[in-house]
Amino acid sequence: MSRVLVALMLAGAMLTGALSAQAPLPERYREAGVIRWGADAEGGAPFVYLDAGQPARGEVGFEVDLAKALGELLGVEFRRVQAPYENLVQVLDRGDCDVVLNGFEPTPARRDLVRFSRPYYIFQQQLSVGPQVRDVRSLADLVGRRVGVLGQSRSHELLRAQPGLEVVVYESNVTAYEDVVNGRNAASLADLPIARAMRPLFPQLVDVGEPFDAFYYCMAVRRGEPDLQRALDAALGELLANGSLERIYRAWDLWVPAEARLGDAEVASAFADDGVRAAGAIDWGMALPLLGLGALRTLGISVAAFVFAVVLGLVVALLRLHGPRPLRWCAVAYVELLRGTPILVQLLLLYYGLGQIEGMQLTAMQAGVLGLGLNYAAYEAEIYRGALSAIPRAQREAAMALGLTTAQSLRQVVVPQALRLSLAPSTNDFIALFKDSSIVMVITVVELTKQYQMLANVTGRFIVLGLVTSGFYLLMSLPLAYAARRFEQKLDRDGA
Amino acid sequence: MIELRGLGKRFGERVLFEGLDLDLVPGRTTVIMGRSGSGKSTLLRMINQLERHDAGVVRLSPIEIPAGLPHAEWSRRATALRRRTGMVFQGYQLFGHLNVLDNVTLAPRIVQRVPRAAAEQQARSLLELVGMAQAVTRFPARLSGGEAQRVAIARALATQPEVLLLDEPTSALDPGSTADVVRVIGDLKARGFTLAMVTHDPVLGHQLADELIELD
Ligand SMILES: Nc1ncnc2c1ncn2[C@@H]1O[C@H](COP(=O)(O)OP(=O)(O)OP(=O)(O)O)[C@@H](O)[C@H]1O
Ligand SMILES: [Mg+2]
Repeated sequence: MSRVLVALMLAGAMLTGALSAQAPLPERYREAGVIRWGADAEGGAPFVYLDAGQPARGEVGFEVDLAKALGELLGVEFRRVQAPYENLVQVLDRGDCDVVLNGFEPTPARRDLVRFSRPYYIFQQQLSVGPQVRDVRSLADLVGRRVGVLGQSRSHELLRAQPGLEVVVYESNVTAYEDVVNGRNAASLADLPIARAMRPLFPQLVDVGEPFDAFYYCMAVRRGEPDLQRALDAALGELLANGSLERIYRAWDLWVPAEARLGDAEVASAFADDGVRAAGAIDWGMALPLLGLGALRTLGISVAAFVFAVVLGLVVALLRLHGPRPLRWCAVAYVELLRGTPILVQLLLLYYGLGQIEGMQLTAMQAGVLGLGLNYAAYEAEIYRGALSAIPRAQREAAMALGLTTAQSLRQVVVPQALRLSLAPSTNDFIALFKDSSIVMVITVVELTKQYQMLANVTGRFIVLGLVTSGFYLLMSLPLAYAARRFEQKLDRDGA
Repeated sequence: MIELRGLGKRFGERVLFEGLDLDLVPGRTTVIMGRSGSGKSTLLRMINQLERHDAGVVRLSPIEIPAGLPHAEWSRRATALRRRTGMVFQGYQLFGHLNVLDNVTLAPRIVQRVPRAAAEQQARSLLELVGMAQAVTRFPARLSGGEAQRVAIARALATQPEVLLLDEPTSALDPGSTADVVRVIGDLKARGFTLAMVTHDPVLGHQLADELIELD
């Protein structure tokens, strides 16, 4: 073995020793040999993502490189765990990961909930507009226009502080940019690294104005693990000092002049003093109206979607049983297609898929109502088909014998009786739809569940807000179930 | 007068009727008897075209329904024919979601577009005729068999049919109810209605029949 190599190894050992003496990695992580880092790979460039052009490379991103460097320095494996960006705090809290490393910003709300490491990157903001938008240079020019943004991000916070904007919240930057390209929104604000990484995907977008603002990406750990935070701080300090950070960022074209401040004492210690603070207080004066508004929206979407589903479902069922042959097949195909594919996919197709076609763009509300309605129509159709088949053929013959046409017999005799049979299963379906309607949050509709999620994320009060939210749902669904039961009792009394 | 000429009907291999001729003469009562499975119901259902025939012609002047019409044309003519006949089923087949009065007024209102008030007035007198005037607001599930069958007769008469077809109107009834229904049918016969009735009951059959048809 060469002397140089031995010397290097010794130096390495001393280095690690020095590091661990200063802030050792907690026992349980050293023993496990693994630190699980939570991140969202969806729309995750340049943080962590799958390169569509080179899928064989696996997950890539500057944070993948950073995690590898940290792992090598700390002598453990950094293993990535997939988690939705908006739920990273909960995933961390539940112990499903140990560290959040995902362009995660130490917002005041989050500082109440988790413990942040020293910043490992300083990021700025980039405003991007659609190809037709000519008159915009800054946020101030966007008053009265729709601006898309990733939910609960620094960009989101800045937009909220800017009066007069119509802010539309997304769960991924890709969809936020998508809606600028297709003209739903005028602009989108995003972190500079994201804007740069996405530019090749959205060549139509135009970056306007200089990058502005400066804020930090930090790793987050659970509040009760200051030891882990200190160990990560020390490791980050080392990577900064030995030039590894700069090397990684340059490789990703992310090294901007602002990064020079990473080593500044006040930046490095910006969050070191975060004590363990109490969970945020809930401002009920604000929270209740927000939840109430979300509840109304949930009710509106559900009722509209269900009316649509009932009408379409009945048409489909009648076509399937009594329509001409080709339409019969269409009805079967419709039911199987809509029941056999996830409603999530249907919603994304309706909103983002159609959004890519000129003249076919739906608002989020329209897409939500239509998507839920189309999907539930398939289930309603099956209920009605069963009920229609349960009405004896002789009932229709009795009507025809009186001179009613086939259509009149169905309309006057068969359908009314079938609808009564369907009442109970249909009510069940409505209550199911009512609860499932929360799925429209994936296409930016802020209904009751989404409102709950946002409030809970800010305050950390998942239990109490969850109970109140459940109360809102029950307040709406119980009277409905009661009314349906009363109606059925009345029918029973009639013997109908 | 309803005329059946050279009527043929088969179910698969089984030939049920071949070259059947039958006239339902106005004012007369035709009773159809025969063992189970001999085709009594099928014959009655061919008269009002709930069952299509394979050969021959069914005529209720000027409506003429030869075998083998295209579906749409057959359906148009069959509906026209049914508007001039009435039918009473073995199992009543009252409409469960409608009360007694609405059961009787449905066809006049929907088919003949009689205003509701007039339809109801006429329905009440028909229900009077069958002895069910007191039951107008009751629902079918709350009626006894005899009551239901008498409402069914009133319903069948509401469109003022030229011929009333009855398929075993008493076979599901107890003796008391049977007597009620038989009295109503006898009453109709006495008033000169044209009736065609399937029955298993030889006493009833011979009592009412002007013409008797035995199927085998
Ligand atoms: N739709 C059908 N398809 C096949 N066969 C049928 C059909 N309808 C009736 N049949 C057969 O035709 C024959 C006559 O039936 P139909 O109901 O007319 O007899 P019926 O004389 O009224 O008997 P019952 O006294 O039992 O009422 C029976 O053998 C029956 O099985
Ligand atoms: Mg029979």
